[in-house]
Amino acid sequence: MIEINHLTKIYKLTKRQMRQLKTKETLKCATDNVSLTAKPGEIYGLLGPNGAGKTTILRCVATLLKPTKGSIKVNGFDTVMQSKKVRECISFLTNEIKLDPQFSAKYMFHFFANLHGVSERECTERREKLFNYFGITPFQDKKIEELSTGMKQKAAIAVSLAHDPKIVIFDEPTSGLDIVTARSVTEYLKELKKEGKLIIISTHIMSEAEKLCDRIGIIIEGRKVIEGTLSEILKETKTNDLEDAFFELYQTYNKEEA
Amino acid sequence: MNGAKIIFKKELRRIFQDKKMIFSLFILPGIIIIGMYSLIGVMIHQMVDDIKKHESIVYIQNMPKEYESFVKASGFLENAKVTFLTKEISAKDYEEMILEESIDLLVSFEDSFHNTIASYEKSGDTIPKVTLYYNTAAKYSQEAESKFRSMILEPLQQQLLTNRLGNLEILQVFQIADKVIVDEDKQNGQFLAMLLPYMITFMLFVGAMSLGVDAITGEKERGTMAKLLLTPIKRSEIVLGKLSSLAVLSSISAVVYAISMIIAMPMMAGDISSEGGALSVRFEVTQILALLIIMIIMVYLYVGLVALVSTFAKTAKEASSYISPLYIIIIVAGMLTMYQGGLEKPLYQYAIPVYGNSLAIQNIMTNELTLAQFCISSFSTLVLAILVTIAIAKAFNSEKIMFNA
Repeated sequence: MIEINHLTKIYKLTKRQMRQLKTKETLKCATDNVSLTAKPGEIYGLLGPNGAGKTTILRCVATLLKPTKGSIKVNGFDTVMQSKKVRECISFLTNEIKLDPQFSAKYMFHFFANLHGVSERECTERREKLFNYFGITPFQDKKIEELSTGMKQKAAIAVSLAHDPKIVIFDEPTSGLDIVTARSVTEYLKELKKEGKLIIISTHIMSEAEKLCDRIGIIIEGRKVIEGTLSEILKETKTNDLEDAFFELYQTYNKEEA
Repeated sequence: MNGAKIIFKKELRRIFQDKKMIFSLFILPGIIIIGMYSLIGVMIHQMVDDIKKHESIVYIQNMPKEYESFVKASGFLENAKVTFLTKEISAKDYEEMILEESIDLLVSFEDSFHNTIASYEKSGDTIPKVTLYYNTAAKYSQEAESKFRSMILEPLQQQLLTNRLGNLEILQVFQIADKVIVDEDKQNGQFLAMLLPYMITFMLFVGAMSLGVDAITGEKERGTMAKLLLTPIKRSEIVLGKLSSLAVLSSISAVVYAISMIIAMPMMAGDISSEGGALSVRFEVTQILALLIIMIIMVYLYVGLVALVSTFAKTAKEASSYISPLYIIIIVAGMLTMYQGGLEKPLYQYAIPVYGNSLAIQNIMTNELTLAQFCISSFSTLVLAILVTIAIAKAFNSEKIMFNA
């Protein structure tokens, strides 16, 4: 279970960042008072445009960033005070976090499983199962740098699941993947859900969220503007699909801000 | 500590599974050092041989006929083409010839040189002059001057003095007998004491520098560090695993450099080493142990410093530019001890990291290291290394440093 309570994350901008963002503000609020709850056995989708703050929320959940205000509990453990306990039960994958290209997928799998304290026997069993599912087995001894983009992503997903985490956090899991690989990833997320795991993903692909997510939270400029099941969101926004709902919310938000 | 062990193994595997990496880190530097020193040795020997084989071109002006047989008997003419000038040439001409190196040496005797010597009776009488014209910037010219002086002028002077005084012993009031009492190890150690602290400092740092940047900044840049930070092990374990593996790799690298230099030095020195035995020093077990302990602590400090800089850097390029000033400081600290052999240093100087270690290594070479010097030097460096490790672990916990957040 993930419980985010009034999460606010403010970044202090460096002079270089201020120049890049063309702002005189020294602080940037990435997420503003966001609260949400995700339960085991569901896929929770965080939707929003680029720079909305989705990745910041997920990074805070994964203990990589500390909230400026508010708190996050993962399976009852506080992400700041009990970060080690949180990291034991989560898996976090983004496009920015990669496997060491100089090692094979097989070695990386065992390396991270060992760091999570998984026994060698259990590790081998899990590796065989995951590598077979994603079709990595024929390439398991090749260096990561020698694999195709899709295979690299699949290897990264398999390695991130090496310790059989209860909670899986994926930041744009199908970004940059071809349609076949993307389908195998989403199918596997459904499998994980069936196993009773909690999956939280961020995406800006509306169709993916519609098909995959049990509940959706839409984030615009660091604020959660709506949360619910697909039907609840469509009902509240009086639209026919998620894309229309998103634009409706986006325009309303901008009008209010103006 | 299990996490540190797993990371330690992985970092070693990164190097040792890759043949290209092994070659470029450990084999290529050895080949380059041996090759470079051998080449220098060959060039020095070629130069020496060339000078020895060169037939000196010597002009002798106004030499008294009485000395002709002496010059012939001296053996100087065997490797010299001597022209006896009967008429005087102008100063401008011979200066030009010597500068152009068309002749190596011009020897000019004063008029009535021999008669002036023969007519000498008492103090105050004229002493005739022989002038040697040569070029100190030309190796052949210097060699010709040196040979002419030692083979002809000095023996000739001895002979003429004997003729004048009958017995040269009259000039000798007493004899000076040299009885040198020396600890050969210490004497030979002085050569190493000058060279080794600098070399050890330099080699250990170079090893740490090349590997440290990739292990920390490289991982940050590639996006693989975050994956490591998501594991449940402590950040301090990650730091310890990385630093200890870097220390081992840097030590191996330093050993390769040292062995290469030991092989290469005699190649460069050639005949010199066989004469002096400058590199043959016997060490006591305690000396070797002290040297090892100091080197281990030094290498740990170096990898720590490199890792600290690498942790703060956003890119490998940035890390390299930050490390360059550090590299210069380390080299200068090592070099400071090169020309200070024999000077008594106050104890507090041994507490200055790097410099104090160089002083301690210097004293090990001459077998003069005291327990106090060893303890102060090792302890201060160790304390700094621990502080650096703590700073890195703190930096690993900072989202600002690790994720530019």
